[in-house]
Amino acid sequence: MLWVDKYRPKTLDHVMVHSDTAQNLKKLVSEHDCPHLLFYGPSGSGKKTLIMALLRQMFGPGAEKVKVENRAWKVDAGSRSIDLELTTLSSANHIEMTPSDAGFQDRYIVQEIIKEMAKNRPIDTKGKKGFKVLVLNDVDKLSREAQHSLRRTMEKYSAYCRLILCCNSSSRVTEAIRSRCLNVRVNAPSEEQIVDVLQFIGKKEGLQLPSSFAARIAEKSNRNLRRAILSFETCRVQQYPFTDKQTISPMDWEEYVSEIASDIMKEQSPKRLFQVRGKLYELLINCIPPEIILKRLLYELLRKLDAELKHEVCHWAAYYEHRMRLGQKAIFHIEAFVAKFMSVYKSFLIATFG
Amino acid sequence: MDDMDMMDMEELELLESSYRIYEQEDDNHYLYNPPEDEPELQPEQSPPDLASPSEPQSNSHKRSRSDPNSDLDSDSADVEKREKVRVRAEDPPADEDWLRYSPPPSPVRAEEVRLSKEKTLSRFASEIDGEVMPVTAPNGDRVYTKLDRYYGEDRATKLNSGEFSSDLALEPISVLFERLEEETFAKTLEASSESQSVVDVPETLTLHEKLWVDKYAPKSFTDLLSDEQTNREVLLWLKQWDSTVFGSEIRSTSEDVLSALKRHSSISHSQKPLGSGFPRTKGGHVWSNNRYTNSRSMEGSNNRYTNSRSMEGSDNSMSSQDTHNTMTRHIGAPEQKILLLCGPPGLGKTTLAHVAARHCGYHVVEVNASDDRSSSTIEAKILDVVQMNSVLSDSKPKCLVVDEIDGALGDGKGAVEALLKMISAERKPGAGKQSLDKEQTEKKSSKKGRKIASLSRPVICICNDLYAPALRSLRQVAKVHVFVQPTVSRVVNRLKYICNKEGVKANAIALTALAEYTACDIRSCLNTLQFVSKKKETLNAFDIGSQVVGQKDMSKNVLDIWKELFQRKRTKKMERKSHDRKVSEFDTLYSLVSFRGDSDLILDGIHENILQLNYHDPVMQKTVKCLNSLEVYDLLHQYIMRTQQMPLLVHLPPIAIIVHRTVAQVQKPIIEWPKSYHRYRTTMMEKMDILNNWHNKISPLIARHLSATSFVEDLISPLLHILSPPSIRPVALQLLSDKEKNDLAQLVSTMVSYAITYKKVKSDMLPNTLKYGVKDELTLSLVPSIGNFLNFKDYTSNHYVLSLAMKQVLVHEVEKHKILQANVKTVSLENGGHGAIQAGNNCIPFANTNNNTAIVDKKTIESQANVFARKSNEAKIVSPNLNLTNIVNATDKVKLLDMGNRKKPSRTSSSFFDRFIKSNVKGLQNDDGSLQKETTSEKDRSPLLFKFNEGFTNAVRRPVRMREFLS
Repeated sequence: MLWVDKYRPKTLDHVMVHSDTAQNLKKLVSEHDCPHLLFYGPSGSGKKTLIMALLRQMFGPGAEKVKVENRAWKVDAGSRSIDLELTTLSSANHIEMTPSDAGFQDRYIVQEIIKEMAKNRPIDTKGKKGFKVLVLNDVDKLSREAQHSLRRTMEKYSAYCRLILCCNSSSRVTEAIRSRCLNVRVNAPSEEQIVDVLQFIGKKEGLQLPSSFAARIAEKSNRNLRRAILSFETCRVQQYPFTDKQTISPMDWEEYVSEIASDIMKEQSPKRLFQVRGKLYELLINCIPPEIILKRLLYELLRKLDAELKHEVCHWAAYYEHRMRLGQKAIFHIEAFVAKFMSVYKSFLIATFG
Repeated sequence: MDDMDMMDMEELELLESSYRIYEQEDDNHYLYNPPEDEPELQPEQSPPDLASPSEPQSNSHKRSRSDPNSDLDSDSADVEKREKVRVRAEDPPADEDWLRYSPPPSPVRAEEVRLSKEKTLSRFASEIDGEVMPVTAPNGDRVYTKLDRYYGEDRATKLNSGEFSSDLALEPISVLFERLEEETFAKTLEASSESQSVVDVPETLTLHEKLWVDKYAPKSFTDLLSDEQTNREVLLWLKQWDSTVFGSEIRSTSEDVLSALKRHSSISHSQKPLGSGFPRTKGGHVWSNNRYTNSRSMEGSNNRYTNSRSMEGSDNSMSSQDTHNTMTRHIGAPEQKILLLCGPPGLGKTTLAHVAARHCGYHVVEVNASDDRSSSTIEAKILDVVQMNSVLSDSKPKCLVVDEIDGALGDGKGAVEALLKMISAERKPGAGKQSLDKEQTEKKSSKKGRKIASLSRPVICICNDLYAPALRSLRQVAKVHVFVQPTVSRVVNRLKYICNKEGVKANAIALTALAEYTACDIRSCLNTLQFVSKKKETLNAFDIGSQVVGQKDMSKNVLDIWKELFQRKRTKKMERKSHDRKVSEFDTLYSLVSFRGDSDLILDGIHENILQLNYHDPVMQKTVKCLNSLEVYDLLHQYIMRTQQMPLLVHLPPIAIIVHRTVAQVQKPIIEWPKSYHRYRTTMMEKMDILNNWHNKISPLIARHLSATSFVEDLISPLLHILSPPSIRPVALQLLSDKEKNDLAQLVSTMVSYAITYKKVKSDMLPNTLKYGVKDELTLSLVPSIGNFLNFKDYTSNHYVLSLAMKQVLVHEVEKHKILQANVKTVSLENGGHGAIQAGNNCIPFANTNNNTAIVDKKTIESQANVFARKSNEAKIVSPNLNLTNIVNATDKVKLLDMGNRKKPSRTSSSFFDRFIKSNVKGLQNDDGSLQKETTSEKDRSPLLFKFNEGFTNAVRRPVRMREFLS
């Protein structure tokens, strides 16, 4: 078992990074007044960990006994009936799923499952209340229709079920849903917090972790706790007594992006752009999300860029990322960004060096 | 002599059929020409009329002299006279009736001679009717000199042709002749009834109702405009049916036609002696050759069945008519029973099918898209066509023409299916050639009584799109002919002829432009012409270019469109009027792109190819512009798809034009089909599937924290490092230090929790793993192959790869760990109570017998627990409240449970395997879970661990020592 999983806090009390949030959540549960929740924040910041700990706080250790189900639904949608299939994780008290996997028919799943939960409302032995929790991942990837259909069901069935929504960016969640939820922002942990966690793990594993090395790992991790722990373990595997000079092996795709960046810096021409396109395809083929590619590419380019240009390049990156999100074929937009960068950079070079 | 006659006949036939096609005729043809018309006359018993045979002669004579652009009266006169001959030859009785009513012809005649240019067919006919009466008298000269100036010429030629005519008494083209008779008869009747009242009726009255397309549809084979080669092939194919369809009745004619055709296609004369006897052994038609040799060999082996016939067949004497009749019968129907004609609309496919079928003496039955084409009805219809001989009418055999077969969708597919069924019914019995032959003869004798009808009549299918999915299976069994455009000059000639007939003034340039504009679609040409003539306008080249004339939506090949977009037309001197030029360029490009329809494909192609162009772009501004417009396309397209605002699609073509204006070069671009995006999509989907499968396999407690995409983003590269620690040594477990054991245990548990293991893979599939092992040796690689997610092109990752020995150790350990884990799980499940109750119920009768074994097991379980303790992190898997005694209890119960399942406790049974086999068989009614329990609890009892694979009950049973497994 990886350290990431091994040292994941199981209860709200053990949460190290967002302890204040955890305490608030605990209070919510203890007052039996749990509203719908919307967790948002960058990946690797601990949203899911918080949610799991919260569930455990609500339902006790039973919440950890989950089973995977591949469920099929038959939905009547007016004239036709639609067959849907989705993998769900469920325990006695909650169901967890990623509705956006169902594509554009996600809204049927959301409605259907909420109604279903409402039907078999759990009754406590004490005859008291009882609600189930529906955890929806990647709400920002839900279609607009699904989000709209969600808001009514949220209210209608709130007596029977609570929703815990989880997403990276709340901006793609409609206003209506955001206002119906208690929004919990889960920040990326600061580097100090990461160092603390690493030290904690090191102590548990009985390792000597020089603080400077921990700081380096934290810095490299881009404030992503998961990545930090993973690379910590990688370093442990590669070379144990840690030294300050030890290399922290980078993510391979990031290496590849930086290769692309240096390609771009070396030559600016349609021919080169064509080569870059091939490499971009390589990245996309390996399931790396285009937004992340673009972001990383910008990061790599900015590192090598003259300060004068940084502002403009950032502007264009934002411009093209916006269009990429509106569009469908990501490669068009990344490529257009590269072309724009080449153009800007080359005219800059010509202007400066003649 | 016979032979010679045959050849002559052949030639003549050919001439008959093709003298329209070949505008130039050499002298020979000219000489041989008369006999073909001679037979027409002879049966009618009008030998004294010497002038009449010469008329057709004169026709052809004149035609041979007239160049394609000859004036209109000669053309029309020709036709009229041809009609005239037939009419006269055919119905003297009618004429006799005629004479009684008709006004004396001579006064009228004088005017009419002058008017002959404008004269219509009907009037001529009526005139002739008047004239023919005197002809019955022996003296004919007087009449002709009066009537028409052309007759003078006719007479001149008549004399030399007369000699030849006497020799040939055969009927060369009786079928054709009959048909023509009917036609002309009908026409004559119609016409005469008119001329009865008014001689000078303006013909326009009758003709304006009809579409020109129908009016001037080719009536005979010779009129066809389509490609000669195709025409001939179709005719040949139809002729091959003769033997099966007609038997021997019409054979002589058909043979003649066939061989004449063959000869004229003039590929080889070397086979001449054979060719006259067995006309299908022609070079260039391999299939017919094969057929022929087949039949030959059949005959050789076939003596028993058809003795006399095979005798005839083996008799190679080429002179005898009989011989080659029998030969044809042996040859039977053509190899491919279905003819599939395909080509763009308006080239005359349907017309060809009809004409050729009629030419060969079939009654055409057409099934087209407007008919009911469901499977049942079509089958009945085909049966009807293919097997029945019509009782009424002329007892002509039928020929089925299935038109627009590619449009067959849904029910319409029935047509194709029914046809295929019939063909396969034909094929099956024909496994051996003998039986095929036999069956064909049988079929002839008893057509009924077959289970599935087989095709015994020609079927012609017509389609526009050869590659329509509905036709896929048909394409393989049918003989396919692709229509090509006829040459413009041929179309123009025809058009001109029709224009002349209709009195429309049109010059050759305009007609050529029209033909080119419609891509030689004769139908649309004619429709346009009719339209124009109706408006009393003259056709000129300008009209055609403008929108006055109906324009056909021409969709061009996508590759051509890309070429157009990337290639700038050479600018000519009209550079000054560049604005105009650009406007027209825009128009053409716009129509080009929008007619094609799928802007997606076009723009994807642009994206694929744009960076390969050689355009001058110092600061990449052009590239940016193009890519930006491609972005706009993507946004727009996405928006349209999402909101279903299809009208917005019209804005896509201009994007292509922007690109054209920006980067188009004069030099020729190299275009590649846009594949890379699709390749990206498919490979990404595959990898996504791998990821998702992996994700599902990992225990949910871990997997829920990671989405499939963050696997690649965050996890895989560190995971690969962690999975291959360089420090670990591939030695036996006992030799490892405690720390190393710890590391190994950690590694194994990681692999197990992430559902990763090593598997044997052929090394040539994975070039990266080649380091360890010779080429064809098996190597171990990670499953799922997460390393593949880091295989970027031109990128080498610095991951350490474990040695083969280490991997093997790991595989072993992972398996062991998995079993242990499963064991612990079942144990804790038992603890949950459900299992315990069940066990309790089952095992009370056996409790006593098992007491001692349970005690023994306690020890083993203790030792097992030690193992657990050593592997520290596994403690987590064991539920916290599970102490040692619990384990013991539970395993006891499990044991009792499986005793209960086994009914007969076979403690004494010697072999391990026996027990499992039995328990497996017996335990079939149990669910899988209990099976699993059985096996795992069995493992607990002994210090040995092995995995029991379900479904291996058929394995060889023999005693094996456990140490052999362990080594």
